[in-house]
Amino acid sequence: MAEIRLLSEGIFEITKDKRQLATPNLDPGKVVYGEKLVSVEGTEYRTWDPRRSKLGAMVLKKFNIPLRKDSKVLYLGAASGTTVSHVSDIVFEGAVYSVEFAPRSMRDFVGLASRRKNIFPILADAGKPDSYAHIVEPVDLIFQDVAQPNQAEIAARNAIRFLKRDGYLLLSIKARSIDTAASPKEIFTEEVKKLEKAFEPGFEILTARDLVPYHEDHLGVLAKLKE
Amino acid sequence: MKISTWFGVLEMGSKGEILASELFPKDVRELALHSLSLRDSRQNLPPEGFDLKAAAVECRFVDSLSEYYSLLHEVTLDTVKIQISGSLTPDQRIIQAVEALDDINETTNSLSERLFEWYGGYFPESGLNGEALALFIVKYGSRENVATDDPLCLKARDSMGAKLEAADEMLLKGFAESVCSLYERRKQIEAYIESNMEVLAPNLTTIAGPMLGARLISIAGSLEKLAAFPSSTIQVIGASKALFKHLRSRAPSPKHGVIFSHPLINTSPWWVRGKVARALAAKLSLAARIDFYSAKKDISLEGALEEKIRKIRAANPRPPQKRQEGGAKPQKKRRK
Ligand SMILES: C[S@@+](CC[C@H](N)C(=O)[O-])C[C@H]1O[C@@H](n2cnc3c(N)ncnc32)[C@H](O)[C@@H]1O
Repeated sequence: MAEIRLLSEGIFEITKDKRQLATPNLDPGKVVYGEKLVSVEGTEYRTWDPRRSKLGAMVLKKFNIPLRKDSKVLYLGAASGTTVSHVSDIVFEGAVYSVEFAPRSMRDFVGLASRRKNIFPILADAGKPDSYAHIVEPVDLIFQDVAQPNQAEIAARNAIRFLKRDGYLLLSIKARSIDTAASPKEIFTEEVKKLEKAFEPGFEILTARDLVPYHEDHLGVLAKLKE
Repeated sequence: MKISTWFGVLEMGSKGEILASELFPKDVRELALHSLSLRDSRQNLPPEGFDLKAAAVECRFVDSLSEYYSLLHEVTLDTVKIQISGSLTPDQRIIQAVEALDDINETTNSLSERLFEWYGGYFPESGLNGEALALFIVKYGSRENVATDDPLCLKARDSMGAKLEAADEMLLKGFAESVCSLYERRKQIEAYIESNMEVLAPNLTTIAGPMLGARLISIAGSLEKLAAFPSSTIQVIGASKALFKHLRSRAPSPKHGVIFSHPLINTSPWWVRGKVARALAAKLSLAARIDFYSAKKDISLEGALEEKIRKIRAANPRPPQKRQEGGAKPQKKRRK
């Protein structure tokens, strides 16, 4: 028998042989990227591999995940949608505005987006939020996983435009995309400082924790806008 | 104040109330096209924190939020599809062809080796390999069938190879046919690259030749990116494999990238190759820029490069002498 435990709204831990992270499948019967489907008490869940998802790793690293069933999310760096699919499961009555700038990744993402009503794909550069200002509404959460040198700036620009005053920013910072010479620790301190000060408005950092052992050289950050 | 949204243009009052609205027709394709045109216009941006969905309901574009979301879902999907179908630009097609060519070369080489090994058991003296061997096998199969007027006829008769049984002969012939068709495909792709490079990047094609030019675009990722590279980067692109190998295993550090295969470099004496590579990279960079921005052929380019190379060679007729006097930088051995 499978055991199930709620970790955060819409996010579960299922124990059946081994413990696994999972979200209720919004698109029953369909597998997105090779994950397993598990049924517990009449609900179908999709297992969620934290090694393939920074957000999944953040859940296991005990980040507070500020998502509700009707949250509006701006997701920057959607790639082919591995993590977006789980966010879409979690906010099944909400919206996931998913920005990705590589047409090749977007091509893979379209299939997923067309089957899930709460996904709104946007092929654009997240560094230019003006280019999708006519589409995106104010959001409760900005999730960002772009692995770019100017990731703090990208987050700030989007937050100014789209983040509700009481909304949150969840960010994955990749050390190696910034500078190969500096140590990851130095880079993380630097980036966190940037988030706090370098842009208007600054962020207040609530949690900053590495994502080891699921992702090497990655820092997860939960922040909100300064009052 | 005017605001552009995906569903129409709104005229807002000073307190944020909607004074007037010009709504677009509720047609997914039309809305998607509007949305695309708004991407690059910086005009009439909604203010920070503007609630689009509330405005859409208020101005009666939709009756409900659920209608708002389902229409927006259709529109964003359609927008992305339009963008994707436009993203397969001519340079991307050439890049696919270059990569297909690499795959075919790799496959052809390994299948050719297999065929060589395999047929070697029946006719080791043939002296043939590659496409010639494959064609030979398709034509004759067993060496017993070699025509009397074929130059290999005697060798075939006296061969120490085993007798090729009918079943094995059929297999080998079929395999050889596949190899032949891969060689065919390779020629076809090369011809495709040549003719398309001439259209896409005539200047780059003149300076680099179509294959090297296509390879440069492929490694850069697009003609646009190649045009944006400084010439010092063009000089070493394609060396990254060698660079990693160098870092990992102390292999010699790369001095040239793919442009080293250019005849102007590999026919130059070794002591001017660095200078020639720099001059060539500078012209390649210029050519890529002209191609990206105008795609018109600049006939002066080739002559200017040849003249430059001639001068470099004339100024450096002999290998440099090692300097013995103190004070001079100790010269590292240049060639490996
Ligand atoms: C590490 S991957 C994201 C993986 C994804 N979050 C997941 O877990 O499924 C980073 C993605 O961000 C995209 N990206 C990088 N810079 C971007 C930018 N400025 N705007 C939009 N997307 C960007 C890349 O194309 C890539 O697909």
